Amino acid sequence: MDAAHIRNFSIIAHIDHGKTTLSDRLLHRTGTVATRDMEDQLLDAMDLERERGITIKAHPVTMLYTAKNGEEYELNLIDTPGHVDFAYEVSRSLSACEGALLIVDAAQGVEAQTVANVHLAMKQNLHIIPIINKIDLPHANIPMARQQLEDILAIPGDDAILASAKEGIGIEEILEAIVARIPAPKINPLETFQALIFDSYFDTYKGVVILVRVTAGELRPGMHVKMLHSGRSVEIKEVGSFNPKPYTRAKLENGETGYITANIKTPREVKVGDTITDPRNPSEELPGFQEIQPMVYSGIYPINTADFEGLKVAISKLQLNDSALTFQTESSAALGFGFRCGFLGLLHMEIVQERLRREFDMDIIATYPSVIYRVKLTGGVVKEVDNPAFLPDVTYIEQIEEPIVKAFVICPGENLGDIMGLISEKRGVIKNTETLDTRRVMLTCRIPMNEILIDFHDRIKSITRGYGSMDYEQAGYEVSDMVKLDMLVNNEPMDAFSSLVHRSKAENRGRTLAAKLKEVIPRQQFQIAIQGAIGGKIIARETISAMRKDVTAKCYGGDISRKRKLLEKQKEGKKRMKSIGSVEIPQEAFIEVLKTN
Amino acid sequence: MRGGGHTRVRIELNPQERALKLSTVPEPVRSLYVHVPFCAHKCEYCAFYSAPPSGGVIERYVGALVKELELIAAECRPSTVFFGGGTPSLLTLKQWETVLSAMARLGLSGAPEFSVECNPATVSADKARLLRDHGVNRISMGVQSLDEGLLERLGRVHTRDMVFRSFDVLRAAGFSNVNVDLMFAIPGQTPEIWDQTLTEALALGSEHLSCYEVIYEEDTPLYQQLQAGAFAVDEALACSMYDHLRERAAAAGFQQYEVANWARNSATAGPVVELPGVSLAGIPSHACRHNVGYWRGLDSFGVGPSASEYVRGLRSRNWANTDLWITQLERGRRAKEFAEALSPRARAGEMAAFGLRMNAGWPWEEFRTRTGLDLRDAEWREDLVGLVRRGWVEETETHVRLTPQGLRFADAVGEILIRVDEAPPEAVRAPARTLRLEAMP
Ligand SMILES: Nc1nc2c(ncn2[C@@H]2O[C@H](COP(=O)(O)OP(=O)(O)O)[C@@H](O)[C@H]2O)c(=O)[nH]1
Ligand code: SF4
Repeated sequence: MDAAHIRNFSIIAHIDHGKTTLSDRLLHRTGTVATRDMEDQLLDAMDLERERGITIKAHPVTMLYTAKNGEEYELNLIDTPGHVDFAYEVSRSLSACEGALLIVDAAQGVEAQTVANVHLAMKQNLHIIPIINKIDLPHANIPMARQQLEDILAIPGDDAILASAKEGIGIEEILEAIVARIPAPKINPLETFQALIFDSYFDTYKGVVILVRVTAGELRPGMHVKMLHSGRSVEIKEVGSFNPKPYTRAKLENGETGYITANIKTPREVKVGDTITDPRNPSEELPGFQEIQPMVYSGIYPINTADFEGLKVAISKLQLNDSALTFQTESSAALGFGFRCGFLGLLHMEIVQERLRREFDMDIIATYPSVIYRVKLTGGVVKEVDNPAFLPDVTYIEQIEEPIVKAFVICPGENLGDIMGLISEKRGVIKNTETLDTRRVMLTCRIPMNEILIDFHDRIKSITRGYGSMDYEQAGYEVSDMVKLDMLVNNEPMDAFSSLVHRSKAENRGRTLAAKLKEVIPRQQFQIAIQGAIGGKIIARETISAMRKDVTAKCYGGDISRKRKLLEKQKEGKKRMKSIGSVEIPQEAFIEVLKTN
Repeated sequence: MRGGGHTRVRIELNPQERALKLSTVPEPVRSLYVHVPFCAHKCEYCAFYSAPPSGGVIERYVGALVKELELIAAECRPSTVFFGGGTPSLLTLKQWETVLSAMARLGLSGAPEFSVECNPATVSADKARLLRDHGVNRISMGVQSLDEGLLERLGRVHTRDMVFRSFDVLRAAGFSNVNVDLMFAIPGQTPEIWDQTLTEALALGSEHLSCYEVIYEEDTPLYQQLQAGAFAVDEALACSMYDHLRERAAAAGFQQYEVANWARNSATAGPVVELPGVSLAGIPSHACRHNVGYWRGLDSFGVGPSASEYVRGLRSRNWANTDLWITQLERGRRAKEFAEALSPRARAGEMAAFGLRMNAGWPWEEFRTRTGLDLRDAEWREDLVGLVRRGWVEETETHVRLTPQGLRFADAVGEILIRVDEAPPEAVRAPARTLRLEAMP
């Protein structure tokens, strides 16, 4: 197809505002799929994605549409991951587009997630077509939605198309707007060919399937191509598009999106954002490439130590389709052998853990997550630390910087006070408060990322009884008074519970942990001290009193065998216990505390 | 300490036995336990195998018991016999006569220590005299408490008065070796009640005292009440009751010889029953020899439903099901539910663990001759050094024993000293419900 008749676009929407329904409508209206099969979610493939209403893998769908002007257009809908954890992937997908449909629920209005994604699209200079969806709802408030588009997103409200994806209202108009308002791909006057890799997935038969947007020339099977950042040269085996199932094509031309395969077995060699070009006559690299960097780390351990190998296989398999996930072996005195895993963000972390449990049936426990700190040593060297265990000795530390995010929180006006309280409890600074409509306010704030790792989102949801929403974007690093909190049992540190915390939070956390540990560590024949310590300073202490006896009961002939078996069982149980500071601690105790963390 | 002057009973081998001894046939077993699985009413805390008797079950039991005694008689020449339960005193005079005369016929009577457990509610003068006449010379009375409220709480069928009356009956019948069983840390028992019970129990002037903390066994009503939060376990209270007991018992002239057992040590009273290969040094004269045998790992036959035995390396247990047990014996077979043989190392570990429950501990040499392994060897060295360091064990030239502090942690010590067989070499477990029986040697 000539570039003038190609349109590449994506859809930006908050969860449940109707992205899936609208996509299905578009596929149906353009005849790409004959009937809408309710069970077969067309774009969101994984169960987990479906449940959580998010897309992790972006699949482009190619539709042919004959416009009112009588001409046929190739419309490529590039579905983007719906969460900021995947902000980089989102940005690469968006950079494969010239435009985006922005869906706003006529009854709900603009939500936090919409704000963050619109900001990303604007950074990519995409043409945005606002759509006010669900106008069929009785409590739809179109003027409010228009007003919010202007006030919050600076998008002219009058440009909005009124639609009901459910009722099929406005679909035609949307398709026409895609053709009319979204620019055609630029004709690139290059002597060579060039394409952007905006995603990839692993197929057992074909190897890595690379999703590409051609930015110059064309791609055909048999061509030798080079990926500039990974440095790898390969021969294209197959090219094609999705409808939404993959189908092969003779070639992908300038401006088109689709996939290529090249018998690549190692997904890590295919980097999102990389440039594909002619090895003999290479083009420039496309702008915006980044190596994917995990933002959050956590240890994942098998609950049953014998499952270590199985866990390794499971994580490796996950990684085939999720090259953003990193892992390496680590060991803990308390939990045995496991893996230090790196994630793009919190949601990514949760998804990986949940997939390990569900799809691979692994019984796992995760340690307290950590962000990456920049530790400046005396002498100027800067070290990145994602595991408190590797924090250099304090005497060598000049300062510690922690990552900050810019967070958008939208909540009903009546919860404003509580939300502000939560933000300040989380060491956040509110930068801006905007009234969205009669009911809602949006707070923009800067918050240390480590504060939102655990329960920030849950607490917003519970304060607002589900009406609040939250999103964030990375906002650099700031110097911070971070300390390493160690938990000690009879003066020996329990590595699984060490964490880097802000000084103002250390005491509280130390106390809470000490109290929980007191509950789960069994009494022994001597007194046990559980302490929280910063450096040498004890900031929390609990004592488990000594057991004064274990037997004053009788035991005669008939009891001997039974009693021996009981002792045998205890002895076997001890083998599975970790001895820390001569205190025997069952692994379950650690797990119990980590779970409630 | 044992002074001189008391009568020692030697178990003379009869000519037939002597002949057996000269050939390769092993020594006869010197200990016999008989389980009587009937109680008038089930106590709240009880996990023993016993049930109220119905129909003619006791009659059939007695018949089967005689059969089981016949099956083991050739290998058994008991120095100690113990009738436990259940409530052995529930058998009628006639039933006792049947059992005791069968024992006489089978060469199982005449044991120098012959104990029968009695419930204070079921001791009559006739029965006491009959038992005494048939060679029973030791009675163990299940008193548990002398507080009416607690007796009721525990579901005991007797009153405090019955205890005093039964005691007199036993003395009148000529029993000069009587044990009193008491329990402490009973839910609702205050230190004052415990002290009162001790005062009255000690005033009885029994020769032996068994005192133990209430045990919460699964599947008992008391356990369920505990689980349901009806009361809480107060460890500190249990400890102080134990301490109080030790003081009071000592002051009353009792010598503690095991975690839960006290006995008088007198130069004048009763015969000293010797146990083959067991040194009785440091063990009071009125200690229950039968139980000493268990703790020192002697072979012992066990007959009756649910009874355990340890005979020539094989530990086994009868079915805890009276009907099943009777049916099997009526077919001429013992009714074994399970049997296991431990490796020498595991067996030695078990003997170390249980032997150290006794204050006298283990003489190094006796342990070595009996088990073929030495507690002074590398196998246990590190464990024992650690235990000595903790202050729980003391080692002398001749003995290894628990310290007073160690006695409180006998279970922890046992856990350290036992040795677990990876896969028990000859563990045999009859599949549930099949009635196949192990052919006993
Ligand atoms: N009334 C009404 N409901 C809609 C409309 N579009 C979508 N929905 C419903 O809104 C819910 C979420 O839609 P979905 O397309 O899954 O949203 P997504 O999470 O953005 O993909 C579903 O129950 C849809 O049936 C609409 O135009 N009108
Ligand atoms: S008398 Fe003894 S055996 Fe019988 S129920 Fe009570 S405690 Fe159990």
